[in-house]
Amino acid sequence: MSDAGRPLLYRYALLTRASHWVWLVAFFVLVGSGLQIFNASPNLDASDKSDPARRVLAIGSPSDGVGTTTLFGRTFVTTGWLGWTGDGMGSRGPHAFGASITIPGYQDLSGGRRWHLFFAWVGAICWLAWLISSAIKGSLREMMLRRDDLPKLWPMQAYYLKLRKTPPPHGIYNPLQKAAYTAVLFVIAPFVVLTGLALSPGIDAIANPLTVLLGGRQFARFWHFAGMLLLLGFFAIHVFQVLTQGFINQMRSMITGWYQPE
Amino acid sequence: MMKRRLFIATTISSLAGCGPITAALSQNQGVQRVLASAEGLNHALIGTRGLAREYRDRDVDRNFRVNGFATPSDARYLDLARGNFDAYRLVVDGSVERPQAFSLARLAAMSGQTQITRHDCVEGWSAIGKWSGVPLAAVLDAVTPRPDARYIVFRCMDNDGAGNLYYESLDMHQARHPQALLATHLNDAPLDPAHGAPVRLRVPTQLGYKSAKWIARIEVVGTFANIYAGRGGYWEDQGYEWYAGI
Repeated sequence: MSDAGRPLLYRYALLTRASHWVWLVAFFVLVGSGLQIFNASPNLDASDKSDPARRVLAIGSPSDGVGTTTLFGRTFVTTGWLGWTGDGMGSRGPHAFGASITIPGYQDLSGGRRWHLFFAWVGAICWLAWLISSAIKGSLREMMLRRDDLPKLWPMQAYYLKLRKTPPPHGIYNPLQKAAYTAVLFVIAPFVVLTGLALSPGIDAIANPLTVLLGGRQFARFWHFAGMLLLLGFFAIHVFQVLTQGFINQMRSMITGWYQPE
Repeated sequence: MMKRRLFIATTISSLAGCGPITAALSQNQGVQRVLASAEGLNHALIGTRGLAREYRDRDVDRNFRVNGFATPSDARYLDLARGNFDAYRLVVDGSVERPQAFSLARLAAMSGQTQITRHDCVEGWSAIGKWSGVPLAAVLDAVTPRPDARYIVFRCMDNDGAGNLYYESLDMHQARHPQALLATHLNDAPLDPAHGAPVRLRVPTQLGYKSAKWIARIEVVGTFANIYAGRGGYWEDQGYEWYAGI
C-alpha cells in the first residue's frame, strides 16, 4: 500500500464519487434486467426484422435438460450455463440466462422491463449531471484523451508490463486511463444508449434513420448486447486494476475523494 | 493477499446475493411504483409522433409469426368462423352520438388503407406484414365520440382460460394516428383465425400487445379505471406498461 509522507490529493469531487457509485448500481441493474429481457427472445439477428438466416447468436434448449448456444452457426452444449439454467425457484428450466444473474431473479419480462426502463433514466441523468458539472469545473479536460497523449500510450503500457522503470510524465490521469475513460464515457456508453433507443417503436417512428444506420431493429438489439459486453469488459479490467494498484488508496479516494499520490 | 482474497470472496458472494435482493424488491409495491414512474416520462417524451416506417412488398414475411394467445376456442367464435364471419358485427358504442354495428361488408365499403409495417413484439422479435383495412379514425368519425370521450377500449373474443377476455386501449391521440388501423387483411388475404380474424388492430408505433386481435366491440369511454384491474389492457393488468412505445 502507499506510504504516508506525500500530502493527500483531493482527486474526486463529490458529484464524481456519487455518480461513480450510482453508475455501479445502475449498471448492474441494467445488465441483470437486460438479460431478463433478452431471455424472452434469446436470439440476436444481424437484420431489421427477425431472420433465422442472419442469426448471430441463439441460446436455446432443444430438449428438456439440455442447453445449447449457437454462435455464427456453430452449436455448443452449454447446459447449466446457458439455455438450460436455474429458474430461481430451486429447479432448472429452458431459460437462456439463469435466474441467479437476471433481475428479477425469476422469469418475469414485465418486471425486467420496469427495472431496465427506470435505471436507464438513472444512468443517463447521472451521466448528464456529471458531464455538465465536470465541464463547468474544467476537470473534464484532465481525463479526456488528447492528441499529445497518443505517443504516451505505449510507454505507459510498457511501464505496466514492467518493460520500463518509470511511467511517462502525465497529469492526474495517465494516458491509458484517459483512453479508457474517454472510450467508455463518450463512445461506448452513448452507443449503448442510442442502440437501446432504436429498439423503441415510438422512437423508431420519430428517428427511423437511427435504426437504419444500425442495420435495423434486430441488428440494434445485437449492438445493444455487444455494447453491454464491452462495458462488462471495461468493468472487469477496472476492478482488476483497483485490486492491484493500491486497493485501499483507490477505494478511499472514490469514497472520501482523498488520494495518496505515488 | 489474504485481504484481497477475502474482498474478492465477499464481492462474489454479495453479487450472488443480488438475485434474492432484487426478487424481494420486485415484490415490494412501493419499489414497483417508483420503477413504474419511468413510464410517464417515456410517454411524455416519446409519445406518439411521426410515422412508423413503411416497407416494400418484398420485405414482407409470408409466414407472419403468430403473437399472443391461440385462436379462441369458444363455440360462439367458432360458429362465426364457420359462417365466414357473415354474422359478425363490429359494435362501436359507449360515449358516442351514434352507436353502430359494422358488418365486414360495410367495413370493406369504407375507404381503406394498406400499410406494410413492422410488428415489434415485447418479447423482442420483429416481423413485417402487409395490413389492409379501415383507419380507426374513420370508424370513430362515423360514430362521433362525445366531448367526454378520452379512451378507446377494444373488447376481444379470446380469453386467457380463467375467464378474462383480452382487451386493450388507446387514448384519442393514439387512436387518430394515421397508421392506427382496423385490419381485416394480412398479406392480401382475409385474416385467418390465428392472426386475429375477422378484425384486429394495428398500431405500428407501439409494441405488439397493443395490436389486439379478434375485436368484437370498440367502446369509447372517459376512463378505463373500472374495467378489469383498471390499467387499460390485459397485459397492462399483468404489469406491462400502458404506454407501449418503448
